[in-house]
Amino acid sequence: MLLRLAWRNIWRNKRRSLIVIGSVIVGVIATILMDALQNGMIHQMLFNQINLNVSNVQVHKKGFKDKKDINNFISKPAKVETIIKNQPHVKFYSKRVITFGLLSSTDNSSGVYIYGINPSQEKSVSIISKSIVKGKYLDASDGREIVLSKALAKKLNVTIGDKVVGMANTPSGSIGSDVFRVVGIFKTASSEFDKTTVFIPIVSAQQMLNIPGKIHEFAIITDKYENADIVSKALQKKLGKKYEALSYNEILPLLVLQMDLYKQLLIIVNLIIALALIFGIINAMLMAVYERIREIGVLMAVGMKNSKIFSMILIEALIIGVLGTIFGIIFGYGINALLLSGGIDLRWFAESLSSFGVGAIIYPKISLENFIQIITIIPLVSVVGAMYPALKAIRLEPVSAIRYV
Amino acid sequence: MEIIKCENLQKIYQDNGVPVHALKGINLTINKGEFTVIAGPSGSGKTTLLNLLGALDKPTEGTVYFNGEVLYKKKRRELSRLRLENFGFVFQAYNLIPVLTALENIEFSMMLLGIPEKERREKAITLMEELGIAELANKRPNEMSGGQQQRVAVVRAIVNDPDVVFADEPTANLDSKTGDNLLNLMQEMNEKKQITFIFSSHDKQVMERAKRLLILKDGLLEKDN
Repeated sequence: MLLRLAWRNIWRNKRRSLIVIGSVIVGVIATILMDALQNGMIHQMLFNQINLNVSNVQVHKKGFKDKKDINNFISKPAKVETIIKNQPHVKFYSKRVITFGLLSSTDNSSGVYIYGINPSQEKSVSIISKSIVKGKYLDASDGREIVLSKALAKKLNVTIGDKVVGMANTPSGSIGSDVFRVVGIFKTASSEFDKTTVFIPIVSAQQMLNIPGKIHEFAIITDKYENADIVSKALQKKLGKKYEALSYNEILPLLVLQMDLYKQLLIIVNLIIALALIFGIINAMLMAVYERIREIGVLMAVGMKNSKIFSMILIEALIIGVLGTIFGIIFGYGINALLLSGGIDLRWFAESLSSFGVGAIIYPKISLENFIQIITIIPLVSVVGAMYPALKAIRLEPVSAIRYV
Repeated sequence: MEIIKCENLQKIYQDNGVPVHALKGINLTINKGEFTVIAGPSGSGKTTLLNLLGALDKPTEGTVYFNGEVLYKKKRRELSRLRLENFGFVFQAYNLIPVLTALENIEFSMMLLGIPEKERREKAITLMEELGIAELANKRPNEMSGGQQQRVAVVRAIVNDPDVVFADEPTANLDSKTGDNLLNLMQEMNEKKQITFIFSSHDKQVMERAKRLLILKDGLLEKDN
């Protein structure tokens, strides 16, 4: 009956209750949409990095991550490849030669990371083949072809069919160089990556650097990105101390830290929204208590304990919070599904977004953490907000409450 | 058998910082089964005395005993329990809970006692039928007349079989016929169930029914008939 009484009390003043519930709904919608947008952006940053060149797991000779030395190559890639191939959760992998060098055209030159890749393997591991905006992707593992970004092509003033010269140190300390013909121009969501990365066939890279048959990296895609840690740990155990098997968490610590920070930030933002809601609830419940002082006095007179009166007021606030949360979730997720699932076009901010490794279209992503926070924090906040009015109510003396006009 | 006793009962209110002596030292004993009316002009202290005897207010001086126990030594929780189990209240303005139906208002006190829903419903319906207000069961207070509301309030007051029912000007807002019916009802309860009734009233109709009439004047007990 306490629940029934609380429910009916809420609807005594429909307009006020609907306004309070409405404010909870708006708060919940705002939280959902903001979280979805930020979460989408962060995930896009992460997955862009994973899909560009980071992949889920990388295997190198020990120390290569910190020092990309040409000499730090995997000398027996076949042995490592067999272990990777037989590792559960590994979906795709690609062998890479990686070095830092200079790329020159007749007009200009630029320091770049030169990636020697097996084009067919790389297709499954990175999105470079899908990011070609002009020309074509690399055809074979050999040949003197190069794909570079639109930004770099502009800087070097080259286009499809033009020749560029690649130069880099060889293990012996001499300079290895070769001429490559531009066959493709790509553009990704990351302007930083675009400015500094070029792709050539792996055999050509090995020849130019004089490291035949050697590679620097296995880039691995796992069946689920959540399995990256499992795979990296298993591979590390099997490969031993001479190698490093790293998940994207270890390769992109800053981005992972940013994601963690974002999660904490989300809690703070949710708490700020909750704080705003608290005042709405306090206000509404105080009014509800003041309107019913006489009635509360009668409840005391007929023997209702203070704890029950206190509970009744908290239940009223809880119902308001729960209703607001339910409808807020329905509307918030509905808006997200109906209006935002196709992505939010932020092309006006494309340049600045691209420097963060995010594309111009953000795909909002609802997080489970936020859902859990909403369904716990908002009703809890409603109850906390009602505590002061409830305390006011139970401090009343029955006789003065009954006489209250 | 003595049920309520008060000794040197005094109550001073502060009215904008000015002390007002509402009761100036009342000594009184009420026995079980009495049908007592506290009468007197406005401002004589009737309602104050009733509130003090009913544990709704605290005296400035003096003591109230219920069944030999000092009322105001009890904690708030214990006083709530006492009001729930041993006392019933009927107010001048009926004071039914507006969001509950008549049946639910009557059931409410039983719910507070933890009586199971089926049992309390049966008891409430039986009582309503006995007192001829069964047709009001599903009506909310705003759908009932004053007399009907007050009858429901009386049933609410007696539903937990209290020892004492305190009625503060119960007929003040009713016409004489309705008031008379209500008093019949209370008198019946008094006789049938030996429930002690203490009224505060200056209504002649009520005073005529009193088995014992206490007259208050300026905060003092002037007559005890």
